[in-house]
Amino acid sequence: MIEFWTLAIAAVTALACALSGSFLVLKREALVSEGLAHAVLPGIVIAFALTGDRTSPLLLVGAAAMGLVMILAVQAIRRTGVVDPTASLGVVFPALFSVGVLLTSLELAGTHFHADCIIEGNLALAPLDRLELGGRDLGPRAFWSVSAALLLVGGFVLLLFKELKLLTFDSELAASLGFRPGRVHVAWLAVVSFTVVASFEAAGSILVVALMIAPAAAAVLWVNDVRHVLCLAAVLALVSAFGGHQLGLTMDIAPAGPMATSAGALFLASLALAPRGILMKGRTRRRVLARLEVDLVAARLQPGLPRDCESVRGELGWTPRRFEAAVARAAQGAALLHDAGEGTLQLTAEQTAG
Amino acid sequence: MSAPWVDLDPTLVVVAAGTTAVGAVSGALGCFAYLRRQGLVGDVVSHSALLGVVGAFVLAHAVTGTATRSLAVLVPGALLAGTAALTLARSVSTRTRLNDDASLGVMLSIFFGGGLFLLRWVQRQSPPIPGHTGLEDYIFGMAAAMTRADLWMVFTLGGGALLLLLLLWKELKVFTFDPDFSRSLGLPSRRLDLLMMALLVTGVVIGIQTVGVILMIALLVTPAAAARQWTSRLSNMVLLAAAFGAVAGAGGALISASEARLPTGPVVVLLATAIFGLSLLLAPRRGLLARARARRALEGTAPPAAGGPA
Repeated sequence: MIEFWTLAIAAVTALACALSGSFLVLKREALVSEGLAHAVLPGIVIAFALTGDRTSPLLLVGAAAMGLVMILAVQAIRRTGVVDPTASLGVVFPALFSVGVLLTSLELAGTHFHADCIIEGNLALAPLDRLELGGRDLGPRAFWSVSAALLLVGGFVLLLFKELKLLTFDSELAASLGFRPGRVHVAWLAVVSFTVVASFEAAGSILVVALMIAPAAAAVLWVNDVRHVLCLAAVLALVSAFGGHQLGLTMDIAPAGPMATSAGALFLASLALAPRGILMKGRTRRRVLARLEVDLVAARLQPGLPRDCESVRGELGWTPRRFEAAVARAAQGAALLHDAGEGTLQLTAEQTAG
Repeated sequence: MSAPWVDLDPTLVVVAAGTTAVGAVSGALGCFAYLRRQGLVGDVVSHSALLGVVGAFVLAHAVTGTATRSLAVLVPGALLAGTAALTLARSVSTRTRLNDDASLGVMLSIFFGGGLFLLRWVQRQSPPIPGHTGLEDYIFGMAAAMTRADLWMVFTLGGGALLLLLLLWKELKVFTFDPDFSRSLGLPSRRLDLLMMALLVTGVVIGIQTVGVILMIALLVTPAAAARQWTSRLSNMVLLAAAFGAVAGAGGALISASEARLPTGPVVVLLATAIFGLSLLLAPRRGLLARARARRALEGTAPPAAGGPA
């Protein structure tokens, strides 16, 4: 049963992170997740200290508010126009994280965080911390908090899909159409911040970042449509969560590192194999070039008139190797007739008719 | 009666000298990353260094049979991992549709996740590899653990980086502000780019022991952003950022030594952030207060808008 809940928590966390991360990657602000994953720490510690009740749902909301504070602070600094936009994130989130670490080390209100939990979370212990309502055991608390995050993210995406898409790809157009991209953006980032906080306990900062960025970045290399990116990112995140969990069990270590590494490995595999990855892009380019070369040869020929190979090659100014390769490809694809004995080239009937 | 500095704890002197030097060097080197709009690159380099540090430790143990945490072994590992992460991220963002943010984020996940993975594996080894407990300190930093040998390493690497900066000042300046112009002058832009990367990685590597891989970014970006407020000359900016970094480093070491429970790294970062906040508000021309005053002065002298209330 513990095993089941561990996997359930990991799966829901992976889904919530992948969905919210996809829009961050598409909007080219992926590193906002890195900022949020650190900036919410003081929120969590302060909310702990104030409520003194670690089961309170207010805790999640309070901590998520700190993420929103970071977003607004970064935007305010950017708006001054005197600080470099990328750097303003780099100024704000380490400062908030420092506040969090200091508060942690002061052990305010008897709360004690182990330093490791901040980075890796504690998936192994999460199923043991139950949510009870009127004396009934409803399952692990962490499961319900990440489920709430998934519901929030899913609801936002379903209800405001159009707005979110417009905001992601062309926020100026969104503004000119009468939407308020600024407000939708802040609302969306508040939802993302809530997701980060809810995932934090089980996943820690590293896994939140890895699950938000790597699956979405990998998905973008395979498909074009936003909906397809969302689905594929969700699947890849699930695979990395389960695979990483299994790897962690086998090696008897905390699953956060293995899960993050699995997500990274899936990205590297996509980089190699996906149509828009590095290797395949080269292959596609070579294929297009090869087709172009055949067309260039065909353009030198008149229907029904065989021509001498050497003179065609001379007109094109190609090396013999390049020319022969192109002719061989053309003959193979039945685009041209190559008479090797005569050394002549001729358009095929099909090409002539076209 | 003795002068107050005679009573200083020698360990504290080493630590304070170390954090001051780290602050100064990363402040100076951070200016270039800041001006090239690569503020967050340092974050990825520092996180990636964890894989290099742990990897070098494991490799050294496997090859020599004895465990060593000497910086002479760990620093090359960190340099290698940081450079590899940056090179990979660069190649992903130039050759696919992913932008810098996404490619840097992915490399951060892979290298930091992998480093954590390897670290936990090392900690699981039985019999335990002696000395592995100290590796954990690289995540959050442990300035108090700085030894004399570490201090020399910081001085040597940091001094070397600053010397290179000074020797190639003109080239790096042109390359930073106008890469196209520098190419037209016949400067080797690929090599300059690599050099910049190497300098940044060096700055990160000497700092991670002090403030840890997570907070290192603040030592690169925050002093540079603060210094930019006060001056528009590169040389002044670099000197000022180095000074801000040094003040934050020294102050952080002294404050955290007086209150034993405070970790050094976060204190250093918060001091740097305070300097940034003050600079953002108070700087003479770019400061927010000065700008607000200038705007009011302008509105005061402007003629009333036509058609306005009489």
